[in-house]
Amino acid sequence: MPRVRIPPAELSSPPPAGYRRPVATFRLQGSKVLAVDVTGDAVRAKNGSMVAYEGRMAFKKMSGGGEGLRGMVTRRLTGEQMEVMEVRGQGTCYFADRASDVTVLALHGDKLCVEASNLLCSDGGLRTGTTFTGLRGGAGGTGLFTTTVEGSGQVAITSDGPAVVLRVTPRYPLSVDPGAYVAHQGDLRQSFQSGVTFRTLLGEGGGEAFQIRFEGDGLVYVQPSERNTVGGDV
Amino acid sequence: MNASAVHDPSTLPSDDNVNPYTFCVDLKGSRWFLQKGKMIAYYGDVSFQGVGHGALDRLVRTSFHSPMHAGDWVVAEGSGKMLLADRAFDVNSYDLDEGNLTVRSGNLLAFEPSLSLKQSIVPGFLTLIGTGTFVAASNGPVVFMEPPIRVDPQALVGWADCPSPCHHYDHAYLSGVLGGLRALTGIGGASGEEHQFEFVGAGTVLLQSSEALLPERGTGTVPHEPGVPGGGAPHPGHGSGQGSHGSAPRLPGQLGDLQRRFGL
Amino acid sequence: MPFREINSKVVEATVAPGQRMFSQRGAMLAYRGDVTFTPNTAGGQGGVMAMLGRRAAGEAAPLMTVEGEGTVLFGHGGHHVQVIRLAGDTLYVEADRLLAFDGSLEQGTMFMGAQGGVMGMVRGQVTGQGLFTTTLKGHGAVAVMAHGGVLELPVTPERPVHVDPQAYVAHHGDVRNRLSTALGWRDMVGRGSGEAFQLELSGSGAVYVQASEEKL
Repeated sequence: MPRVRIPPAELSSPPPAGYRRPVATFRLQGSKVLAVDVTGDAVRAKNGSMVAYEGRMAFKKMSGGGEGLRGMVTRRLTGEQMEVMEVRGQGTCYFADRASDVTVLALHGDKLCVEASNLLCSDGGLRTGTTFTGLRGGAGGTGLFTTTVEGSGQVAITSDGPAVVLRVTPRYPLSVDPGAYVAHQGDLRQSFQSGVTFRTLLGEGGGEAFQIRFEGDGLVYVQPSERNTVGGDV
Repeated sequence: MNASAVHDPSTLPSDDNVNPYTFCVDLKGSRWFLQKGKMIAYYGDVSFQGVGHGALDRLVRTSFHSPMHAGDWVVAEGSGKMLLADRAFDVNSYDLDEGNLTVRSGNLLAFEPSLSLKQSIVPGFLTLIGTGTFVAASNGPVVFMEPPIRVDPQALVGWADCPSPCHHYDHAYLSGVLGGLRALTGIGGASGEEHQFEFVGAGTVLLQSSEALLPERGTGTVPHEPGVPGGGAPHPGHGSGQGSHGSAPRLPGQLGDLQRRFGL
Repeated sequence: MPFREINSKVVEATVAPGQRMFSQRGAMLAYRGDVTFTPNTAGGQGGVMAMLGRRAAGEAAPLMTVEGEGTVLFGHGGHHVQVIRLAGDTLYVEADRLLAFDGSLEQGTMFMGAQGGVMGMVRGQVTGQGLFTTTLKGHGAVAVMAHGGVLELPVTPERPVHVDPQAYVAHHGDVRNRLSTALGWRDMVGRGSGEAFQLELSGSGAVYVQASEEKL
């Protein structure tokens, strides 16, 4: 489990060769702590998620998720609130959020959709925004909009328990409980699906639960836990 | 760095753990009993029906004997792979062979219909009898201990083959000098350990780290926020295992979740 | 007295006659044998006066004395448990993070404010855990709780470590702590990044940090 002792030599590991501009490198310390090595560049992280750092670091709050005035207004309107800070400096910074598990993934020009509360840290070179998700309302009370991350670079997302990555292909569509949904990437369509019919012995309807159905080609990240949802439970 | 493995229906295990916190059930036209709120995702053609549903009458008659918990359970049937998880707890499957095991009701995720489910005499616990597989969760890995042992009630996940546990009170503490001194001075306080469940005889006791800080939620509650009908209405925590058995059993015919959601 | 780590959240301790240990109230999961749990009226060592001193200091950790013969399982609230072994040095730890520790260790309280000056007092306000920290000194083992596992960061003279006060668990060795503000006052007022205060640890030793900003 995440009890990690770091030998001092490893603390200032040089950034991997081959990068032209200084790029932050993300690595995991155990399953719940993200270590980011920065060399003068910046990363965007969830507000207040720093637990420790070595070297020199500056923390700056960014209004509206660092998306400028337009992003600020959009986020205010959509309710997809995101408190973000910019971390810039030289050294190693450790991030963690309420003992949740961290997954690091790399984007190569594609787009990741993630619940704002599950986005822990993203490379400074990535763009973030909000998008309309269609019918997936009610998931985690976050509403009809979700946060998107686009570009090339590394992203760290959090989940309650280690995330399970599930592949969706045209042959294998996937249904996910809204409370367990964390993020998805790729070319996916989502729809609302009612899963359970609680017909009783007397033949009355007794409430229904919903799932999100993903079809197309891509990856879906789910967590081994459920937030409370309006959609109901299975 | 895509550290986590990507799964699809062909790589997911069959009736085994995906990781310590997620279990995959392989449905091949078979049925599983499933507690509501424990399924996180599925591939394939799976349908879920409430335990009260008429078509399942025969199945329920042979395998499900707990009206108190009927509202919390559904039957999954069809073919596909179904992922189960619970509050990011550790999840384990247990195989019973003509055996019996009693487990905290909130920690039971699913079981095969070849097992029969009954309410334990100890409130908040369910007993599984017969041959088959079931899936249960624990806060941290399960610790298996042999009797004789005294266990903090919150740390108890369940027990197998043991005679029912009895209450053990530390009477030396209750009536002793310390008790009097504490009442007089207010110094010291209770040790918090004057009551345990005691197990004796042959069997196995299953323990977890106590879950004092992770309160069980009643399945089906809606978030407490404006605009959500019935939001935050305290739903009696059925099956919380903390002696909250004052709640009325949800009878077949009641509207259940829908009723609560619209504040009826 | 050895602690055996059963898994990441549960430790087992063996209690033998003449060897007592202290544990936090409610930390016992199960026990076997003839073991008694007594609320700690004497406040560990030092008698009633020391206890009153501790109460006045606001560091009133509700401890139990564990005595007898048998084995005890400790754990609490599903928190991760870290066993720290002391070989003559001093461990500084917030009292409510202590799960259990050897009775042979010498307990004390330290006024963090005396070391950190005015900022030490701010630190107490930030963590909400009082200005007093428990110290444990001697040879023995301490089981400490943390939300979501512990990261052990070495502190060396040329490599000070900055820690979020809410994520701080414990430290040992010859380490000075100081509350620093990484920001100008403008950033602190109203629009902080959430990292307004940082605990700076310098010297040589190690600091334990948890993967969460939640207090216990």
